[in-house]
Amino acid sequence: MSGPPVESVFYDAEYETMPRDRLADLQLELLLDTIAFTYERSPLIRELWRKARITPADVRTLDDFREKVPFISKDAVRQFRDERADPYGGLLCLPPAELTAIMSTSGTTGDPTLVAEKWGGISVGRPSIMYRDFWGMGVRPGDHFSLFLFTFRGPTYGFVQSLGAVPVLFDYDLDEIERLLRLSIEYAPTAMYNFGGTMILATDQIAARAGIDPREAFASYRGIVWAGEPLGARARGLAREWGMSLFEHSSVGDVTASFECSAHDGMHVWEDTVLVEGIDPDAVDHRDAATVTDDDARCELVATALTNRVAPLVRYRSDDIVRITRTPCPCGRTHARIRTVGRKGDEVVVAGRSVLPVDVWSAIDSIDACRLGLFQIIRPARELDELRLRVGYQDTAQSRLSTLADEIAAAVTAEVGVTPAVELVPNAELLRLGPPHKIPRVAAR
Amino acid sequence: MTSTWGVGQYVDRTGHRVAWEVSHDEIRRDTDGATTRLEAIGVEPGRRVLWCSMLSEAAQFWPYIIATMVRGAQLSCADATRGEAVRVAMFTRQMTYHAVLGVNGALLDGLDDLGRRYGDVFHEVSVLGARPDAHDRLVAAGLRPTHFVLAGPAVAIGDEPGAPARVDPTEWELHDIDNLVAVTNLAERASHFDRTATAIHARQITSDTFAPNSS
Repeated sequence: MSGPPVESVFYDAEYETMPRDRLADLQLELLLDTIAFTYERSPLIRELWRKARITPADVRTLDDFREKVPFISKDAVRQFRDERADPYGGLLCLPPAELTAIMSTSGTTGDPTLVAEKWGGISVGRPSIMYRDFWGMGVRPGDHFSLFLFTFRGPTYGFVQSLGAVPVLFDYDLDEIERLLRLSIEYAPTAMYNFGGTMILATDQIAARAGIDPREAFASYRGIVWAGEPLGARARGLAREWGMSLFEHSSVGDVTASFECSAHDGMHVWEDTVLVEGIDPDAVDHRDAATVTDDDARCELVATALTNRVAPLVRYRSDDIVRITRTPCPCGRTHARIRTVGRKGDEVVVAGRSVLPVDVWSAIDSIDACRLGLFQIIRPARELDELRLRVGYQDTAQSRLSTLADEIAAAVTAEVGVTPAVELVPNAELLRLGPPHKIPRVAAR
Repeated sequence: MTSTWGVGQYVDRTGHRVAWEVSHDEIRRDTDGATTRLEAIGVEPGRRVLWCSMLSEAAQFWPYIIATMVRGAQLSCADATRGEAVRVAMFTRQMTYHAVLGVNGALLDGLDDLGRRYGDVFHEVSVLGARPDAHDRLVAAGLRPTHFVLAGPAVAIGDEPGAPARVDPTEWELHDIDNLVAVTNLAERASHFDRTATAIHARQITSDTFAPNSS
């Protein structure tokens, strides 16, 4: 499709504001196509369906789908990959020779898995993710657009150029922040993707040292996207002080991604490209997985790709705990919104009390020496007798470390009601665990 | 559409990053040059190339990424950082790559952290394109790397292991300034380079080739 008029609030008004009954019809049509397509081509899906004794002919409605179709997990993909020597984990629906690119997942929760791509594409959908989101934030042709990113996802700058904007390119690295601030003043970009809590916190010191006022540097931005990790109270406070208009962004079960809109009331999932479901996080498999239908109730996110015709995931169990709402958004869009709670695999239960990284985040980054918010929960098992934290620090003399550990323990106790054992390590030691500046938030030991 | 493709960066003689505006025309021309270079190092249909780069280097790498597709090969990407060594090792474990290009010292540090031997990670790679800070470490490990150098805005790749690094002679002329590679653009570009010294220490051999010093 050609671009919308610049005065349009929406990039694709027809699809972004589609009435929910029409959206449901469209989803069912795409879903039935998808399952027929994948069943014929994906070895993993065919194997799972055979074990569940179903074929696409058994699925005629969304209720059939929810009752009968087995889940896929990342572990199942890895197991298929390793046991069958299939690098694509049994998901690829094309002859490998037809692929353009082979990228990979972030690897935050383990070994990265491959993401097969065919550029110039065979997606059956319309431009959605990024296009609709950044247009909604106010990006228009001719604007400059800061990309502060890694490369392992591939050339993300293509979507910026497709919007008619000009990417200004930075590495996702603390060492790039001063350059970002200077070029933001020079080029006056209108959006940035992706600048999270660690970067915001580091900007405070870097800007002061460089003699740059962050308010001036961020003045041109209509939207700055952050993702990957929760934003602590300290980072939010700085962003507010500097006038940063922040938009949260998250993956949707390795199928697609979601972004906040101007209403800042949950992240929109483009449901003409993905079917999202919420299930009971404690379900063993699809047979006992109660669907969570209450609006905004806590659930595990399950996602099915509707327009991917390369390696679509069908009923991918994400391990992400979210809240889903399908009530109309004040922005006018009709698509579902999600709010992230945490990763199921990150949860520990200490003396019957659930603790997720987000629960201790603000307590840790409220302490000056720990302001980058770098920490890990030590999780040898889900149920623990004691909460153990490995916390990164900076600018602290060796003789002060014992006092610092006590301060952290007191702050965490006040926040979650559980007193932790604290191990202190220099920030650099945690940052090395990458991907850059997005460290695993749990460690087995 | 704006005539500007994007704003990347190159490293100047002092080691500082300089903002670099690039036009769509330049990218198109550089893609043609990159296609020729990849053909010369055996990138063919059915083969794979793993590009190790940073996003700020996209103006240098994007023509090569497009050229990989033009050549009918498949591409993968990893950041050229210490933490990304795990990704590079994963890719070469899962699949066979004809070329891994842009390997730097940080990635080798990361492989050291993982306890991975360079020879094990890259043993099936035919063309191992090493930046100056990685080249001699790979040689010391018994591998035969090819020079892969970002000489400021220009990409230089050796024809074979041990051969000098070569820039696109239709786009760049090289000079020696205090044993640093300096570049002049020969065709119109959004940013002008006139004997602009880069941070690459080297011995110039011809107007389009040089032998980088290890760093």
